[in-house]
Amino acid sequence: MFSTELVVQTVISGVMIGVLYALMALGITFIYSIMRMINWAMGEFYMIGSYLQYALVALLLGPDLWWLAIPISAAGVFAFGLVVQWSLLKPIFRKPPEARDDYATVVTLALLLLLRSLATGLAGPNQFSPGSNLPVVMVGPMPLAGARVAAFVFALAALALFYCLLRYSWYGLALRATSQSRIGVQTAGIDVQGVDRIAFGVGVALAGLAGALLAPVFLVYPTNGLITTVKGFEIVVIGGLGSIPGALIAGVLLGLIESLGAAFIDSAYQNIYGFALVLLILVLRPTGLFGERGREA
Amino acid sequence: MSATLLAVDDIHAAYQSGVDILQGMSLEVPVGGFVLVIGPNGAGKSTLLKTVFGLLAPHRGGISFDGRAIAGLAPHEVKRLGVSYVPQELNTFPHLTVEENLRIGGWTIRGDHARLKKRIARVYEIFPVLAERRRDKAGSLSGGQGRMLSVAREMITEPRLMLVDEPTVGLAPNLAEQVYELLQTARKAIPTTVLLVDQNVSDALRHAEEVVMMNLGKVKAAGPVAEFGEARVRDLIQECLLG
Repeated sequence: MFSTELVVQTVISGVMIGVLYALMALGITFIYSIMRMINWAMGEFYMIGSYLQYALVALLLGPDLWWLAIPISAAGVFAFGLVVQWSLLKPIFRKPPEARDDYATVVTLALLLLLRSLATGLAGPNQFSPGSNLPVVMVGPMPLAGARVAAFVFALAALALFYCLLRYSWYGLALRATSQSRIGVQTAGIDVQGVDRIAFGVGVALAGLAGALLAPVFLVYPTNGLITTVKGFEIVVIGGLGSIPGALIAGVLLGLIESLGAAFIDSAYQNIYGFALVLLILVLRPTGLFGERGREA
Repeated sequence: MSATLLAVDDIHAAYQSGVDILQGMSLEVPVGGFVLVIGPNGAGKSTLLKTVFGLLAPHRGGISFDGRAIAGLAPHEVKRLGVSYVPQELNTFPHLTVEENLRIGGWTIRGDHARLKKRIARVYEIFPVLAERRRDKAGSLSGGQGRMLSVAREMITEPRLMLVDEPTVGLAPNLAEQVYELLQTARKAIPTTVLLVDQNVSDALRHAEEVVMMNLGKVKAAGPVAEFGEARVRDLIQECLLG
């Protein structure tokens, strides 16, 4: 028998993990909507965020200041993203548009291998945990892991901040405009390379933030970005490539479906439920739930 | 004689190395002038505007704006000097509101809130229909209103030179005439200089002061509009096409 408590707890758990998946998907789709390229190394930026979180908590700040480590980790990934855009991607964007996709794919795949190998070389194949001294949180009669609740709250705050920056700032206006016409923003006098730099930095910082937030839950190791990257791409397919509202809604939907499937069908096939949804969407609506129409950045 | 605002001197530019679209193009645009560039398809007219605005870097020759060399500058740097570019395609952001489109048109003066507000108010005075639809998405505007917004967006910074690429392409004749009137309104209101590229020769000639005919990436003929009667334009185009 399904108890109401179990259903509610599963839904809450699904929404919480879904919001965190959405951070990753948002990063992928945000970079795509501005730069029209897929960053195949997103999982490695997630991995860097998790390592930074671990290093800051374990070596510098201590477990009590875990919350301070999170924005620092995200900022570190943002800064690294700026360097990557400037050094590896900017030269590509001087090429004719038809060559960009191919170059961007090769460069970001090479970056993926480089960063993963570097992490293995520097930290070894071991798994680390920044640990968490957060107590279990009771939502009504239901116990929820403190680290997961904290990650959820931070993710919501980050999404709110992201929305406000996009909606109410001049840079947000430039980013939204760039997602609609790269020529148009240049005629307005906007440095489109500068917009790309900010977009790439923010996109990978979202992945880094997800890595930092999920470090105590999914641990820290060189390939820990793989699963969340796959989830991120699943969400992008479900929500529609380039659609930011689509990424958020599809993230929560994926989290819910995985949680409900694991609780009420079989937890061994948790990852299969998401793929089933992806296949269903591809058959019924290949452009995703919010497809091209929703590309408003 | 008016001072020269834009001087293009023997420029060569290509999208692909070794295939020059502009092959020694030269022209001068006087301050306050309305210069029309005509020519057959593939003559390099649109490429000329893109090269002046910095979307394409010339590999030979020079471009000067108000005496300053601008060849090879990025578009945002050219824009800051007072040059605006209205491309052939509808240059609006369909998912942004009319007001947001105008605000982004004022990107280079965004630090001066009062000036930006005043400029947007002035544009609304000139084009009341945009004021009425300020909160609507630009994608919901009609073709003519979209063109109006494209031009109005470039008026916000009060540019000294407007580069306008085939603004009437795909428009019905009555709308095309409205677009030319729009350009004249912009020209007088700012006031600004216009370098217009157009295939709609007979209509555009009624508004221009100087004409430059291009063929194969360079000047075929140039002079005051009075020298470009319909018969001469037809003969010149025939010469271009028949070689």
